[in-house]
Amino acid sequence: MPTPSNDEITERIAEVLGVAPSRVRPEVVLSELVSDSYRLVEMAIELQDDYDVIFSQADLSSVTTVGDLADLVRTRAP
Amino acid sequence: MLLSDDELWALSYYRTSEINGSLFFGRLARTLKPSPIQHDLTKHFADEAQHAWYWTDCLDRLGTRPIKMSDAYQDQYLEAAGLPVNLMEIMAITLVFERRVINQYARHLAVPNVRVEVKETIERIMEDERWHVQWVRDALTGMEDRFGKDTIADTLRRYRQADREVYTHTLAEHEARLGFLLDAHPQACED
Repeated sequence: MPTPSNDEITERIAEVLGVAPSRVRPEVVLSELVSDSYRLVEMAIELQDDYDVIFSQADLSSVTTVGDLADLVRTRAP
Repeated sequence: MLLSDDELWALSYYRTSEINGSLFFGRLARTLKPSPIQHDLTKHFADEAQHAWYWTDCLDRLGTRPIKMSDAYQDQYLEAAGLPVNLMEIMAITLVFERRVINQYARHLAVPNVRVEVKETIERIMEDERWHVQWVRDALTGMEDRFGKDTIADTLRRYRQADREVYTHTLAEHEARLGFLLDAHPQACED
């Protein structure tokens, strides 16, 4: 599988969260897109499954925005 | 004879915890792609929902109704341990939590003159709980290649520590209500 681009990952984040792609911009804070923290867990699980990556708590503690998360996925993807 | 306020509170607390567990696993079961873990997790979710029903029915048979509660044990748990961020962490926190549940129900069964309705309900639930521990333990073993045996062991250690803290905190916070359980089986507090 080719390394996904940030745009592809951002698109997938919008899909997983069920929000309009126009709202999912790199600078947007993730917690503003979800109604509760469990939704963030579900999203993390789905992204790891989709891109065959593993996140740790330390990884995600440094993730605040959509762009941060897309960067994390892209750099970890095989 | 009606349930005491403390017993009613404890049984309502169990019911709420089962509901919250069910909702958590239900959301996760919806998220996962088809796999053996998805299969067993869906059964786990259904069991927890069933347990909430058992407690509701038990309270009904005892001539009372559950107290409405918003928070459950799991909320404090996730606060203390941090939200799990991958499937292995979810399995690890589940294993630690299920062992706590078994310990707590065993403690309740040791209460002198425990009501037959409560005893039957706990025994019925315990059959499922033993399977929960088994399947989650097996799932963690199956994840050793991907996550590493040491990482899994470290994660379990971290959640056990959080579990002890939360349980101690819960007992202290609700000491007056849970006193009848502490008196019944004090050594079960150690885990």
